[in-house]
Amino acid sequence: MRDTVELLEAIGRDAKLRHASPDELAQALEAAEASAGLRELAANGDDTTLTKELGLKQMHVEHMSQTAGHEGDDDHERHHHHDDDKDDEPKQRPDDADDTPPA
Amino acid sequence: MNTPTSVSTETRRGSVTCVGMGITLGSHLTPLARNTIETADVVFAALSDHVVELWLQRMNPEVRSLQPYYRPGKSRMKTYREWVDVMMAEVRAGKRVCSVFYGHPGIFAWSPHKVIEVARAEGYEAYMEPGISAEDCLYADLGIDPARCGCQHLEASQLLLFERNLDTTGHVVLWQLGVVGDRSLGRFRTPDAYRELLTERLCQDYPADHEVIVYRAPTLPIEGPHIQRVALRDFPGASFIGQETLVLPPVHAMKPNAIMRARLDALDAIHGTGAEAVVPA
Repeated sequence: MRDTVELLEAIGRDAKLRHASPDELAQALEAAEASAGLRELAANGDDTTLTKELGLKQMHVEHMSQTAGHEGDDDHERHHHHDDDKDDEPKQRPDDADDTPPA
Repeated sequence: MNTPTSVSTETRRGSVTCVGMGITLGSHLTPLARNTIETADVVFAALSDHVVELWLQRMNPEVRSLQPYYRPGKSRMKTYREWVDVMMAEVRAGKRVCSVFYGHPGIFAWSPHKVIEVARAEGYEAYMEPGISAEDCLYADLGIDPARCGCQHLEASQLLLFERNLDTTGHVVLWQLGVVGDRSLGRFRTPDAYRELLTERLCQDYPADHEVIVYRAPTLPIEGPHIQRVALRDFPGASFIGQETLVLPPVHAMKPNAIMRARLDALDAIHGTGAEAVVPA
């Protein structure tokens, strides 16, 4: 059985496979001896088996918020004086306007 | 987890470079980003798919996932500050640090900008290398050129918390729909009622039957983009896993600016229109 991550990388950089039809992709995965999980995901969007095969975990994707007071003075002080203040929550309310620029 | 900060800061050897992983595994990683990852002493990762993180680990065994810092009920701002702290601890220890974020490291990501700011303020080298973002994928998959009539990008929550003016003559793109309206920053998903409130706000500027697009870029190269076109009123009931973006196409035509056109006429009268035949010298 072909290594799943290695195979995905190969497909990702293959101009023909990247936009292959479902049938073409299924044939390519079979020829490459892809895992059952990868073939299931490609065929019907079901990632259950692939999740078990690779031990996948749900990832959180939010890396910012424009709505919190995260550019306050306390932040500046905290990083430049290296204090060990544990109270590092934003001091502004999340729905207060702050100095964050638009996205 | 962190290396002790016993190395003298006199050497200032440490550095940090924030790179983007792109969105689709195998398709988007730039050569420079890959080299930065492969040559780093320590790699921090904030990625959108665990498979992509497994791929990253093939490039450098010293990958440290930033995912464990998230916790239900904990403000994400606290998480983001902790990310900066652990990255800076390694920089101060003299390490060559690479921080990898999905998409573009400088778009909808607070920590990369902050860690670069902090590192530079302390005299360390710090860089950001661009990556292919979800926004880039959106333009390609939906056939939108943002230069044609403009494109306004907003975090969806901002539209509820502030009195923002939407430019309905251009495209409007709303991000982070999964946590729209979450003022605690401690939730990973807000109930559908919050998206219903967003729809109510949007209906102040758009007709309820205006066709909008729910979009999600593919993370794995065996998937295609998710593109769902629905009437605005039906958006809260659209297929939704939390990583989608809402695109509102223009609903009004751009209005000509008669005053500025007249001013241009006056300037053209002095400087020429640029359309005159060129006379050889």
